[in-house]
Amino acid sequence: MTPGFSYRRAASIKDAVTGLSEGNGRILAGGTDLLGCLRDSVFTTDMVVSITGIKELKRIDETPGGGLSIGALATITEVSENPVIRERYPALAQAAAEVASPQLRNQGTLGGNLCQKPRCWYYRGEFHCLRKGGDRCYAVAGENHYHCIFGGKGCYIVHPSDTAPALIAYGAEATIAGPAGMRKVSLENFFVPPAKDVTKETVLEAGEIVTAIVLPPPLAGLKSFYRKIRSRQSWDFALAGVALAIRTSNGRVTDARIVLSGAAPIPWRLVDAEKALIGKVAGPDSAKHTAALSIKDAQPLKHNAYKIPLFKGMIEEEVANISQA
Amino acid sequence: MNESERNIYYLRGIPVPETPPPGKDPSPWKKTDIVGTSIPRVDAYERVSGTALYPSDIRLPRMLYAAVLRCPHPHAEVMNVDTSAAEGMPGVRAVISGKTSDTDFAWWYSKEIKTKIFDPLCRFEGEEVAAVAAETAYQAWDAVRAITVEYKVLPFIAEESKSLDSSSPLLHPNGNTAKTDKYSRGDVGAGFSEADVVLDETYRTECELHMPMELHGCVASWDNDRLTIWESAQGVYSIQSRIAEILGLPLSKVRVIGHYMGGGFGSKLQPGKYTVIASLLAKKTGRPVRLFLTREETFLAVGNRPPAIMQLKAGVKKDGTLTALEFSCIATGGAYPANGTSLVDWLVRDLYLCPNVKTETKDVYINAGPSRPFRAPGHPQAAWALEQMMDALAEKIGMDPIELRLKNIPSFSQGREGNPPYTTTGLRECLSEGARAFGWEQARKRSSGSKENGHVKRGVGVASGLWFAGGGNPPSTAVVKLFSDGSVNLNMGASDIGTGTKTVMTMIVSEELGVKPEMVQIEYADTATTQYATPSGGSKTVPTEGPAVRAAALSVKQQLLSFAAADLKTDDSSLTLRGDEVISMKDPLVKVKIHDVTGLRKRGVIVGVGYRGPNPERKVVNPFAAQFCEVEVNTMTGEVRIVRFLGCHDSGRVMNRLTYDNQVFGGITMGIGLAMTEARILDRDQTGKMVNRNLHDYKLPTSLDVPKEMKSLPIEKPDDTANTIGAKGLGEPVTIPTAAAVANAVYHAVGVRMTGTPITPLQLCQALEKDGKERSK
Ligand SMILES: Cc1cc2nc3c(=O)[nH]c(=O)nc-3n(C[C@H](O)[C@H](O)[C@H](O)COP(=O)(O)OP(=O)(O)OC[C@H]3O[C@@H](n4cnc5c(N)ncnc54)[C@H](O)[C@@H]3O)c2cc1C
Ligand code: SF4
Repeated sequence: MTPGFSYRRAASIKDAVTGLSEGNGRILAGGTDLLGCLRDSVFTTDMVVSITGIKELKRIDETPGGGLSIGALATITEVSENPVIRERYPALAQAAAEVASPQLRNQGTLGGNLCQKPRCWYYRGEFHCLRKGGDRCYAVAGENHYHCIFGGKGCYIVHPSDTAPALIAYGAEATIAGPAGMRKVSLENFFVPPAKDVTKETVLEAGEIVTAIVLPPPLAGLKSFYRKIRSRQSWDFALAGVALAIRTSNGRVTDARIVLSGAAPIPWRLVDAEKALIGKVAGPDSAKHTAALSIKDAQPLKHNAYKIPLFKGMIEEEVANISQA
Repeated sequence: MNESERNIYYLRGIPVPETPPPGKDPSPWKKTDIVGTSIPRVDAYERVSGTALYPSDIRLPRMLYAAVLRCPHPHAEVMNVDTSAAEGMPGVRAVISGKTSDTDFAWWYSKEIKTKIFDPLCRFEGEEVAAVAAETAYQAWDAVRAITVEYKVLPFIAEESKSLDSSSPLLHPNGNTAKTDKYSRGDVGAGFSEADVVLDETYRTECELHMPMELHGCVASWDNDRLTIWESAQGVYSIQSRIAEILGLPLSKVRVIGHYMGGGFGSKLQPGKYTVIASLLAKKTGRPVRLFLTREETFLAVGNRPPAIMQLKAGVKKDGTLTALEFSCIATGGAYPANGTSLVDWLVRDLYLCPNVKTETKDVYINAGPSRPFRAPGHPQAAWALEQMMDALAEKIGMDPIELRLKNIPSFSQGREGNPPYTTTGLRECLSEGARAFGWEQARKRSSGSKENGHVKRGVGVASGLWFAGGGNPPSTAVVKLFSDGSVNLNMGASDIGTGTKTVMTMIVSEELGVKPEMVQIEYADTATTQYATPSGGSKTVPTEGPAVRAAALSVKQQLLSFAAADLKTDDSSLTLRGDEVISMKDPLVKVKIHDVTGLRKRGVIVGVGYRGPNPERKVVNPFAAQFCEVEVNTMTGEVRIVRFLGCHDSGRVMNRLTYDNQVFGGITMGIGLAMTEARILDRDQTGKMVNRNLHDYKLPTSLDVPKEMKSLPIEKPDDTANTIGAKGLGEPVTIPTAAAVANAVYHAVGVRMTGTPITPLQLCQALEKDGKERSK
């Protein structure tokens, strides 16, 4: 059961920022991740600051430039069902629809989804690992079936969010409010790899909160898609996932973004594979080539080598599909 | 309106079956009016509306909440427990541990090895070290966290394959073998030399956890020297006897009540240490104590289906005759003797005709929670091996897998001394009628041609099974009371563990007495007020309790007829019950309304007692099964989608088609869990701790993992030799063939044999890649 803490319901963004800076405050949005962490003693807090009363954080608005601003408190269900998102940013709607279970999607928010803690079972369990300030990573020699094949260094988590790869594929940006005012960070740079800091998942500093995610207007003719593979069909994180955004002209690829989930400690962009795809005829051959290139730098651990054929198969299948779509 | 016209009778006014003379068994039902129909559960409203009180809903005045401190290591010695800080915390009313003198009671998982409630040597993660009772659950958990324990951490074993290594630590002084069983008939060596094809394969099934919806636990309360326990249990009398034995109390002083309960699957046949701990804390504080475990605790300490490594060698002739089966298995019941290999060789011994069979099973210790019986102990594991082997043999000799099975159907039980016959076996019909209903031949052809359909392949698979028990047995006592308005009270000790027992028993009473089902009220599952019954396990509740209930209803009828005979001055054998009156079969003018029967009027009630009679001698009562499934496999990713399932079962008479199909679909769903998603994962190389102890890392199948198209086709052969209601057990056979049928379908789709559970993309995409490389060589 959860150890005790104080609770404060913020009336405004400013109020929330102030509340957070007192002690080791934590934001409560939908609570689907925070409460689990507290109950499992992943971390403790003496102050929980609820932002659920801040109405402006719930809005989904079109921006003057033709893009879309999604408030941090928009629920995952709202993101998956919003007609504008479904039409213009289908990979995001698909990714949101693949998150967790219906109850969790109704309760969980987009901001919370991006700021959720990793799901490594050592981290979530009674193991004082590196990421919790301990002196070792249990995944290295342990049960690392669900850990990363890219970007691990010291820590081998996979980034848990389905929405993040899709947002990155569209070039989204996070709006952040903090004690020093507002700032914007491209979502691609929002996540912190363990090589930089093993105890942090995002660039958020003490007292900062995400207020909105802003999507640029979609490129004309962009085809995008999110695919997720897991061991059971609901209520399960990705074993492997990919957000694809591709534009072609006269059958040849002109723009490509490939961002993986379930692969690395942060949403994993395959820049080399993207580059190699550009200029190619979209079709089965380039799909095969892209898939092979995608996994070339993979460094599997003892129990997760299956992810190599899995990602390869999935990327090949999806690149071929999207070029036919 | 005169009295006789008033509708005071709760009877249906339709003919009821004949009444046998007292002391004689009734003849089998011929035509039934209620039994066999689809009646919704008699307690459906209570369950769905939430008015049903489960043991975990019980809140007594002045009740305290308990929490347990558990050992975080898989193997450790408790050197010291310091509870002083916890004792002083707000709301804390009692703290007990191995150090407190009032906890010195023996505990055993099975009788060979006794330990203590708080044993200083903890042999699995989650063994009990101390417990607290406090005014609120939060205070209890805060206090648990304030207890400090000094452990001496010992080396552990997390894998059954390593248990017998000479370098492994010993869990018990006599070594790490809990039990070795051997069986042999004929001469397997000779059998293999006769065979045209011999195959040998090693299979593995992972450890599965029961995970019933309702957590394990109880509320315990003392009234002077009498202990009352409300427990989520599969049987109240088994809880009563064990607790009385542990605490040294007379049976009459232990009352166990367990009305509604939210699932057990075998893990609630017996009390847990939690039952004893709640009772001790209640005694110490003089207040009722509620102790229900958290979900996380139930992953560690309340049982599992033992993981098994099975080797099977099989010989077959070209014509499909099985010549020899040789089976060996290492499984583990965890850290104590707990039947880790229970029945795991049974299907090999009994399912198919085979003159030469040899089996050897070894139950070894590891540092993990002791197993408890899990829906059809041993059988789904054995089916995983045997039924995949049958599939492989069929392929090798170029025979359809159903035909191979049909060639080897026994009419008697070869695994038992003297080859006693089965009372009935519907295995042949399960296979052949199931195949017809499933469209086996067409589906088999259609999908084996699916190579052209790109990288997503279809396949169909079949597996069959029987269940070792399922015939029911004495003892059981039931009491039926007929009131003067024709309404009825049924009193029986058995539980309804979610299978619909109350509904089926109501239907039996209704059938015999001609009373509307809604006029039957049931009192059940209370050791103080209802009759002795064994716990609901082994698929035996319907065939055990049903005949006792029928006998009790018949006794009521006999007494009613004999009272009426006195009034009518005739012989009771000429009388029959019809609607609201007793009438002469010879002269329809000779009759009396039930409420005018003098004997009933004088007493106000007729009480009938029924007992379960013995099973037929030298015969075996077993249910049989075959299941069919179709899958779709993505060969690029290893994803498997189950497209449809058919469960075809012979469990004798179908008592209620709705509850029957519920079992079939539930069993298939659970089997899909074994096949596709579930596995306990221990941190085998570092700490030995369980890493997936929550419901999203330990993956039970969800509604999206079971096919939309699930069908049940009963092979209804009332088994009149087995018992007086003609029904056999159903709850366990329904989950026996499922996983193997999935594996066979996957093989049919992609030609890759998945010998280990669960079949997830983790295993399959690697196996497919390896297979692809081998093929392209
Ligand atoms: C069983 C389970 C399965 C799941 N499966 C999936 C899955 O398949 N795919 C997937 O993508 N996700 C999955 N999730 C994660 C789920 O989507 C997130 O828990 C949810 O989106 C978090 O939103 P929330 O509003 O409930 O966040 P909260 O729990 O309220 O917060 C989560 C974290 O983010 C911080 N936070 C919240 N909002 C902000 C903000 N605006 N600014 C800064 N920090 C903030 C909180 O302090 C906290 O640390 C699963 C979760 C569970 C419990
Ligand atoms: S992978 Fe990261 S979170 Fe997991 S045990 Fe290692 S350091 Fe901790």
